[in-house]
Amino acid sequence: MKDYSGIALTAPISFGYAKQSPKGAAWFIGRTLQLMLARAGLGKDDVDGFAVSSFSLGTDSAITLTQNFEFSPRWIEQLPYGGASGILALRRAARAIQAGDASIVACIGGDGAAHRSFEATAANFSSFTIDASFPYGGGGPNAAFGLITQRYMDEFDARREDFGAIAVAQRYNANHYPPALLGHKTLSLEQYLSARPIAGPLHLFDCVMPCAGGEGFLMMSEDRARALGLPYCTILAAGELHNAHREDDIQLRGGWTEYANQLWAMAGLGPEDVDILQTYDDYPVISMMQMEDLGFCGKGEAPQWLKTTDLRFDGSGPQQHKLAHNTSGGQLSVGQAGAAAGYMSVVETIRQLTGDTEGNQVPGARHAMVSGFGMINYDRGLCSAATILARSDR
Amino acid sequence: MSTSHTMKQRLKHNRPSLRQNARPPKQRTHLGNAFTAANLPVALALQHCSNCATVQYPPRELCRHCLQDTLLWRSTDTGGALVSRLELHNSLWEYFRRRIATAPWPIASVRLDCGVIVLAHLAPATFGAGITTEIPAATRVQVFSHTDCSLNAVLIAVDGQTAIATRAQRRAIADGLGLLEPAHKTGGI
Ligand SMILES: [Zn+2]
Repeated sequence: MKDYSGIALTAPISFGYAKQSPKGAAWFIGRTLQLMLARAGLGKDDVDGFAVSSFSLGTDSAITLTQNFEFSPRWIEQLPYGGASGILALRRAARAIQAGDASIVACIGGDGAAHRSFEATAANFSSFTIDASFPYGGGGPNAAFGLITQRYMDEFDARREDFGAIAVAQRYNANHYPPALLGHKTLSLEQYLSARPIAGPLHLFDCVMPCAGGEGFLMMSEDRARALGLPYCTILAAGELHNAHREDDIQLRGGWTEYANQLWAMAGLGPEDVDILQTYDDYPVISMMQMEDLGFCGKGEAPQWLKTTDLRFDGSGPQQHKLAHNTSGGQLSVGQAGAAAGYMSVVETIRQLTGDTEGNQVPGARHAMVSGFGMINYDRGLCSAATILARSDR
Repeated sequence: MSTSHTMKQRLKHNRPSLRQNARPPKQRTHLGNAFTAANLPVALALQHCSNCATVQYPPRELCRHCLQDTLLWRSTDTGGALVSRLELHNSLWEYFRRRIATAPWPIASVRLDCGVIVLAHLAPATFGAGITTEIPAATRVQVFSHTDCSLNAVLIAVDGQTAIATRAQRRAIADGLGLLEPAHKTGGI
């Protein structure tokens, strides 16, 4: 596979997080774009590539947004891949820039949160959802992930406390990231354990809060970023695989198992060299699956591994082994802004690797693994993606 | 039509929680409707490929294996093994919300012997279990279909030993789960 050299990620913007909003997706996407351009000192017409993801655009799309925002890209991409969207946008935009098809690409995820919009998305997600999953309790993603979590607990003797370790550490990180919607509240393990039940083993703090918001970043050549005086990070490796392990009874692993080693080899690094791990945390069990499949610990070992691993951004936890995880608090504590949630961890990682944070800086961060997961079509998530990013002056 | 009637209709449409009768999700694709039709005369019917003998679920336009348009709805063995199960304490759908107000709603995923994974309503009482997590993974189960009060066929998982040979036996189980009646709200619209 060709490498990703010469590509810069810059101008990270997280915009407008709100529990509910009367504004449409185009509002969140457009405001995010405007702030990205302002950050980079660029105008709309400097952007010649546009990648976008949203669940709530309705009849609009990447192409209708070009007229909506009055700009003229020569490369567009729409990525309806949920929690993998940001990394897939990054991969495609990097190739477009390397090939000369675009020079500056804006990658944006944005969604509104109108009254009952989450319910409508869940009920109409796909044909399999309509015919074969939603009619069974109308639980939405909680039902599929509850079943997965229960089976993981049965199979590997995991306990609720083990999932709680992830949620509690992420809340600590969110307490230091001002935009997090739940960042003003602390969360103890006792509070986590005594929360009301939602779906089998899943309780309130295992589930994300749907919200509105936008996340975006710019991609361009390193030369261009330097000429513009923009702080940036680079891509050491990236991969994706979809609908992997399709014969498994239930999802206890994802596509990462098939390319994690290739990513580490491409980056010339191992898990021990990573300062930051950002997993897609729609539920803690899915974060554990990524920790295992990406090689941070073995299959089924995440509960044990977490007992000795400090996931706080500042390493202030008692565990000896340090690995900053979901440094802004993840979706569990920031909120899940639809498809923007698939861009959030890339945006947060660019901030971390360029020192552009507001209180949750991981000291001396040089390398980050960012992982994406998405699209519960029926009983499991179909998309997997991961990338290793690095500080430009590492 | 009076203004107040129109207003009531609009409220009913926009606020399911105000309805007198809440029913299970009505919406299906045309394949889901075909599933319902095929399941009317038998305990369980799934799509079988007459070209390669693959059985599939959820229903698809083509054979998932050979991609041929050679699918037939055929009566299918109800046997399978439990993959996972849980009780829902929360739902996005008003009918289930009302049911859950009385007791959590049990569901299961099952690997049928014919090879497919199905999600199903679960009847824990047939296992002699008080709570669903007392039923171990890999437990032998049977899965059959029954028409719910939204007139769609839905799948129901029961213990492997449960008698489900007759229509009356299957109906009694579906009835016991509350699937044959809407969830009422006194004073609803
Ligand atoms: Zn076939």
